[in-house]
Formats: sequence, C-alpha cells, structure tokens
Amino acid sequence: MSETNKYQVGFGSDATKDPRRIVFITRKTSAKVKGEAGPQLMSYPHLILREAIVFQVLTIVLVAVALFWDAPLEQLANPLLTPNPAKAPWYFLGLQELLHYFPPIVAGVLIPTLVVLGLVVVPYFKINIQGEPLWSGNWRRRARILIGVLIALFVLLAVYHAWTVLVPTVLVTALALLPYLKPSSSVRFMKFLRSRTLPWWVMTWFIAAALTLTIVGTFFRGPGWSWVWAWS
Amino acid sequence: MATAAWVQQRMAQLRGTRMWRSIFRRGPARTNRTRSLAIFGNLSLHVLPVKVREKSLGVRATYYLGSISFFLFVVLSVTGILLMLYYHPAVPDAYRDMKDLIYVVSNGVFLRNLHRLAAQAMVIAVFWHMFHVFYRGGYKPPHEFNWVIGVGLLLVTLFLSYTGYLLPWDQLAFWAITVGTNIIGYVPLLGRPIRFLLLGGHIIGQNALLRFYVLHCVILPLAAVALIAMHFWRIQKDGGLTVRDDHERDE
Amino acid sequence: MAADYEAKASEKPESKSPVNRRDFLNEIAGCALAIAGVGAAVVTVEYCEPNVLFEPPTTFPAGSLDDYPVNSVTYIQDQQVYIVRTEKALWAMSAVCTHLGCITQWKPESNQIACPCHGSKFGRNGHVEAGPAPRPLPHFAVRLTADGALEVDKLETVKETEILKV
Repeated sequence: MSETNKYQVGFGSDATKDPRRIVFITRKTSAKVKGEAGPQLMSYPHLILREAIVFQVLTIVLVAVALFWDAPLEQLANPLLTPNPAKAPWYFLGLQELLHYFPPIVAGVLIPTLVVLGLVVVPYFKINIQGEPLWSGNWRRRARILIGVLIALFVLLAVYHAWTVLVPTVLVTALALLPYLKPSSSVRFMKFLRSRTLPWWVMTWFIAAALTLTIVGTFFRGPGWSWVWAWS
Repeated sequence: MATAAWVQQRMAQLRGTRMWRSIFRRGPARTNRTRSLAIFGNLSLHVLPVKVREKSLGVRATYYLGSISFFLFVVLSVTGILLMLYYHPAVPDAYRDMKDLIYVVSNGVFLRNLHRLAAQAMVIAVFWHMFHVFYRGGYKPPHEFNWVIGVGLLLVTLFLSYTGYLLPWDQLAFWAITVGTNIIGYVPLLGRPIRFLLLGGHIIGQNALLRFYVLHCVILPLAAVALIAMHFWRIQKDGGLTVRDDHERDE
Repeated sequence: MAADYEAKASEKPESKSPVNRRDFLNEIAGCALAIAGVGAAVVTVEYCEPNVLFEPPTTFPAGSLDDYPVNSVTYIQDQQVYIVRTEKALWAMSAVCTHLGCITQWKPESNQIACPCHGSKFGRNGHVEAGPAPRPLPHFAVRLTADGALEVDKLETVKETEILKV
C-alpha cells in the first residue's frame, strides 16, 4: 500500500457553507459490508408512505384475526392446585422442554445466559465479519476442531438423553457435511450449501434446535411432561 | 364542484394566516428542501434519515420486519392503555376484570384479543427480525452496537410478554409465572434476592401482581421506547440500512 | 514574609506538582457524585424489599395424633403439607416439588408422591425416586403441644431423622 492510498480527499458535506471545506478521510481499516452504493430517494414521501402502508396492512390483518380468535382465560388462579401439565408461554416452552433433560441451573440459567452472551458478541468476532465458506480455505484444521466439538456435544446430549436437541443437531451436521462428500456436484442446492459460512451453520443449528424444542414442548408433551403424540 | 373550489380557496386563505404559519412552519412538501424539512424538522420523524437508499425500500430487502415489530409495539401500547381503564391489579379484582372485559365491556373482548395477538406476533416478529438481520449481515461494522441494542430489545420484549402473562390471574398465568420465578431462584448467589424483589415476597400474591403490573405498564415500556429510539438513531448515524448484494442473497 | 510570597509566586502552578487544584476538585466532585449514586441505589433497593408481608401464617395446628391412621399419608390442602404416619413415627413434609414449585399429589396406588409438571416422583420419606427434582421434599418441624395437639412450623425445616416418635 503506497502512501497515496492512506487518505481520500473530498469536500465537506455541508454544501451551504462558504468557503467549502476540504476534508481528508483516512481509509477505513475495518471490513464493511458490500452493497452500500446505489441511488437515494427522499424519505418523505418514499419511505414514509411505504411505512404507512405496512402499518395499515398489519392493522387489517391483526383486526381480522382478533375478531375471530379469542384469547384464552382459564379458571381463577388457585395456588393450591397445579394444573397438569403446567406449561409456560409458548416462547418459553422450548426452555421448559430443555429443563426436562438438564438440571434447572443448566437449562434455566446457564444455557439462556450463554445464548444471550453468544448473541451479544456476534458482531465482535472476525469470523462473523469475513464471508469465508466453511469448506474453503483452511478447512481441514477447521473441520478437525469442529468434529471435536461436535463429538463432545453428541456425547453430552446422549448422556443426558436430550433427544430433542440431538436429532436436529445430527440433521444440521449431516447437511453441513454434504458439501464435503459431494465436492464437485453442480446441483444448485449443493452449491448453496457449499457457500455457507460457519456462522451461518451455527445460527441455523441454533434455530433448528430451538424450533424443535419449542414444537415438542407445545404439541408433544402432556400430563407429567410425558410424551404424547400431537395427533392423538 | 363549486363547493370544492370554495373549500380549496378557504383552505388556501387559512394557510396564509399568521396563526397557521406559527404552527406549521414549513409549507407543503413539494420541493426537496421542504421534503427534507418534513423529516429533519419533525420532532418524532427526525430519528429517520432524510434520504434512503432505493434498494433498502424493497420488500425482500428487510421484509419490513423491524417496522412491523415497531408497529406492533404501537398497537400494544394503544390497546394496553385502553385495557388499563378497566383493570385493577389486585388479587380478587384482576380475574373479575378479565371476565368484565370479555363479557360486559363494549368491544372489550376484541381489544383483549388484539392485545394478546399483537403480543404473540411481536415476539415472533422480533425473533424473525433478528434472524433476518443476522443472515443478511446487518450486524457487521459499522452496525455492531445496534445489534447489541437489538438483543437488549429482544430481552425487553420477552420480559414484557412474561410480565403481561401474569395479569389475567388465571391458572395458566399463575403456574407459568410460578415455574419462571423458580427458575430465577436457581441463579447462583443473586437468584433468591432477585426473586424476592420481583415478587415482593416469598409467594406469588398481591405484591407480585402489582409489581408485574408496574413492570409491564411503566418500567419496561419506558425502557423499550428508549432502546427503540436509540436503535433507529443508530441506523441513521451508522450509514443507513444494510442491503445485501443480490448475488449474496440466501433466501 | 515578602520573600516567602515572592518565592511562592515564582512557583509554576502546574509544572511538576502531583495534583493540580482543578483535577483535585474534579476528583472530589466525582467521589461525591459516586457516593450519592450508591446511596440512591441502596435506598431504592431497600425501598423495594417489603418489610411487612401479608402471606398466610406458616405455623398451623394439625389436629391431633388420632386424626392420622397408622401407615397413612394425609394431604393438608390449605397448607400444602403431607402428614405421614408410620407404626412408630410421624412427620410433616412439604408438598411443593423441589424442582420448579408445582404442587405434588399423593398416589396411593403406586405408593409415590408425583409431580404433574415434569414427572418427578418422591417416596413417603421425601426421597427423590424419579424425575428431575434435585432435592428430597423438605421435612417441617412437628411439635406436640401440652394438650395433645399437633403443631407444624413450615419455616423450620428439619432433618428427616428428626421425627416424632409415637
């Protein structure tokens, strides 16, 4: 990189000031997401009108459903009588299903804390900024670490009989391994899988596991948290 | 026809008065200058940028998920305030008021349904919004801190939904909150004191209902408004929405 | 005197002295603000912790010994307590599952106390026989008053070896 590439020269952004200011902009060193150029439009009316339309469509849909779908109301709260089963709101049912396998301090405190922390630090890790597909570059080393982590995860899940988490993990792992087994396939789906990054796979695994846990907790658990088939 | 023209003339006259111009400063938004002022000079709208990239306006760019989350919050606030007019956060009254709202109050059942529906929809919308932002790389520099604010908003949304869940004071509410607060009790060291503070005691009773009500109606909405304002502001200040190039699109 | 004054006047005010007046005053102000902040936080937290609780009384009369047949488990619903009597002993146990706080149920057909929430099962002595419950059901202190009436104190948990011998 020569000296001349270190700075960019431009005019100050306030065009009404006289005299115009010349600015020296240091070349940014952090990675930036591509696709930032393009024509611009005035927010009023283009953005505001679209937002107004979204709001109106949303209101219509909500009102239409609310006219027909009644919110539930069970009997008066009775501290002496626990209903069977006693279920949390649906967005916590995944957690309740997890509580079935792991002790409360793991499933109730440790895992949610780790999930939140994991989400918060996403933008601060370089691997989430670079767009390198999983099976490119230094994939052998990456694969070795990944296999180690996955084996430990499988063992942990099997020891705790956490099938609801194990099944989606195995499925996502199988999908991730597919590009390795068929490296030269030109099927569009295979090309799509081959270009996925490691963060993409981790998030997809998280969504798959969370969805499975929530669906099982909602439809497949009955009295005593025993397994029931949703259609029986 | 003549009436329409007469009305138009009167309106034009009105708009020329000193009183009108003392309230509405900018005039019709027909030039780029007045269009800029419509955003820039507006107390609530100036959190938005004056110009947006054309690509970010397409439905498939963001599916307007962030906007939908925000609008759901607005719907919840309006319906929530209306529901507050008939609800007493006290132990025998709360359940009675729910029955009141459903069977006696005009349009009460509709407002309650709308409130609960919008709440479920908002939880889904904020999760979907988060996943979509992740998959299109909207957290990458310079938008890192906005992602963190977003995670904060997710937690506030979940906590809002959870505190609201207790308010009907039925079996569903009571036992869901029993399980939840017992989980909080498992946090090492701080768990039992936090549970005691949250419930205002050892059991889920009068104090717990009142505290959850205050959290649900005052503390958490204020936190949500502050975070939402920061969230919108950061988008403008960090350079606008992230739009993926077409060849990188996943879905 | 004049010499001292001149000497002081010739000292440069901020050259090598460790703390100058502005920084010192700023530090004092910062500490005062910090103390005020911590004080405000402590006052608020103390305010939020209630000193008087209107909760049901935790010590209650449980009838007399004759109310409980030998080898029985009786559930007192109002207090969420089991009274278990064997041939030689009597004890009182919490009916609240130690997992996440649901109310358990005595199942005589399987000789177990079962929790409906996650399937925990306890024996008559409170031991965990199945399920995710981490601890056995706590035993409460039972006292026999002077006129033969039983009194249970839910605030006082006792070891399971401390039983009332009858």
